Amino acid sequence: MSQGLDKLKHIVVLMMENRSFDHMLGGLKKKNPKINGLNGDESNPDVSGNRVPVAPDATFQGQLDHDPDHHFLGVDLQIFGGAPQGPGRLPNMEGFIQSYATQGAGGNSSHAIMHYFPVEGPTRLTVLQTLATEFAVFNGWFSSIPGPTICNRAFAHYGTSFGNVDMNLFLMPAAKKSKVPSIYERLASNGHTGRLYYFDQSSSTMEIANLLTDQSLFGTFDQFLHDCRSGTLPEYSFVEPNYTDHPGPGGGQMLANDQHPDHHVLAGDNFIATVFNQIRIIPELWESTALLVVYDEHGGLYDHVPPPSCTADGFTASAAATGTGAEFKFDRLGVRVPAILISPYIARGTVVPGAEDAVNGRIFEHASIPATISRHFLDDNDDGTIREQSAETFLDLLGDTLRPDNDCPFFKLKG
Amino acid sequence: MSIDVPDFDEKAAYDHDRPISGLIRTQLLHLHQAENLSLPPGRRTGININDLQTERQASEYIQKATVLLHRHGKAQAAKAAAKRPRKTKKVGPKVRAVATKKAAKRRKKPIAKARTGRPAAKRRKSSK
Repeated sequence: MSQGLDKLKHIVVLMMENRSFDHMLGGLKKKNPKINGLNGDESNPDVSGNRVPVAPDATFQGQLDHDPDHHFLGVDLQIFGGAPQGPGRLPNMEGFIQSYATQGAGGNSSHAIMHYFPVEGPTRLTVLQTLATEFAVFNGWFSSIPGPTICNRAFAHYGTSFGNVDMNLFLMPAAKKSKVPSIYERLASNGHTGRLYYFDQSSSTMEIANLLTDQSLFGTFDQFLHDCRSGTLPEYSFVEPNYTDHPGPGGGQMLANDQHPDHHVLAGDNFIATVFNQIRIIPELWESTALLVVYDEHGGLYDHVPPPSCTADGFTASAAATGTGAEFKFDRLGVRVPAILISPYIARGTVVPGAEDAVNGRIFEHASIPATISRHFLDDNDDGTIREQSAETFLDLLGDTLRPDNDCPFFKLKG
Repeated sequence: MSIDVPDFDEKAAYDHDRPISGLIRTQLLHLHQAENLSLPPGRRTGININDLQTERQASEYIQKATVLLHRHGKAQAAKAAAKRPRKTKKVGPKVRAVATKKAAKRRKKPIAKARTGRPAAKRRKSSK
C-alpha cells in the first residue's frame, strides 16, 4: 500500500454539469501531448455538409443559450453521425453540429458546439486547466450512459440507473423495488460516514430527492466548509453545485455555478477553486484527502473520442425509451467528460491513459465512484452492482511521495 | 504556488428570471413526487409546479419542498425512536463490579495492540 493510500481518510467528489472533455480540456494537448485532447483538425459536417473544424472560441456565457441536446436520441446522433441502427455500425463522433441544429441553433450558431476553451489568454479556464496539469487527468473517463443528467448521476450514487436512459422519475420506486441502496446508505449501515452536500436548500439535490427524508445523509455547502474547518468531514463527501440563479439570504444573489449551459462557466471554475482551497489550506485535511472533480455528462458538446463498449448492466431499456427504434442493454458508455484526481500524493502532470493506449489504457465511468468508495472504506464491493464490480477504481494513483506545500497550487479568488 | 483567478462581472451573469432548463424542470418533478410519496396531504407545499417558469420561482419551491421533506423525516425518526423500548438493565453491586473489571481490561487492549502495530483485520485493501 502506498503512503498516500495509507494516509487517506477522506474522499470528496465534486460533480459538475454538462461539459465534454475536449470542450474544457482539449486544448491542453498543445501543452502536454500525452493528454488526449485536440490536434485542431478535428471536424464535423454541418447541415449543409460543409466540414466545420474545432476552434478555441468557447465563451463563458451566451454562446449556448439553446441547450444542446443530450437525451439518448440526440446523443445517438452525435456519436453515430446519423448511421441507421443495426449491427456493425461504428461510433464516429460526426453528428454534433447536426444535433445542435435541431435545438434551434440555426446557421453558424450551431458551429458553437465545436468550440473549446483555449489554454492561454483571457478565456482560458484558470482553475480547471491548472488542476488538470498539476495533478492527475483522466484521458478515459466517460459518462455512464449516452444520455442526460439524472441517469448518469444515478451511477455515481447507486452504480446503476435501474434501466433508465432518460430523466424519468425512477429512483423512488425503482430503488425500493430493486433493493439497491445508495453508497451513502451502504456506508452508514457499515458504520462509516458519507454525506451529500447540496449547495443550499434553494438548490437542493438533483437526483436523490427520494432520500431527503433522511436528513442525516445531507448537508449544505456552508456545512461542508464548516466540516472541513472543524475536522468533522465524513469519510466520503459528494458535493453538488448551485443549479439556479436565486436570491440569497439577506438579499444577496446566489449565482448558479454548475456550468450547465448557459450558466457562467467562470462561476463554476471559481466554485471548483473554493472546494479545492478549503481542503488545501488545512494541512491535515490536505494530506488525508483525495478530491475528484468530474462532470456528469458532456451536455451535447463535441468530443473526439468514441465511447467504448462496457459490461452490460443487466437491465434493458426499451426501444420506446431510447427513442432510436432499438433497445439498449447498457453495454456502451456515454461521451467522455473531464475528470481530475487531486491529492498531494499525486505527481504533477500525471496523465491516466485511456482508449488511445491499447496496452495501458484504462476506462473509467461514474460507477467507478461507488466502486472506489466501497473498495476503500468497505473493504470490497459489498452490495455493488454489475457495473460497479467491473469498474476501474482510482486510488492507486496516490503514490508514496508527499509533494512539498510550496509545490502545490493555491487559488487566489477575488471578492 | 499562488495562482490568481480572474474576476468576472457576477452581476451581469446573474439572471433569476432565466427560464428554467429541462434539468430544473426534472428536479421540480422529482421533488413533487417525493412530496406526494412522503408527506401527508396537509403538509405538502401545495404549489402547482406547472406554474413555475423562472429559476427564482423554481428555487423558492425547491427550498420549501426540501425543508418539508427534511422536517418530516426528522419527525418520523423521533417518533420511531420514542416507540423503541429502552434497553436498561438493572445490575446489582456484584455484577457491576465484574463489569467494571471487564471494562478496564477492554480499555487496556488497544494500547497493547498499538505497540505491536495496526491489527491486520483493520488494514485497508489497496485499490486496483
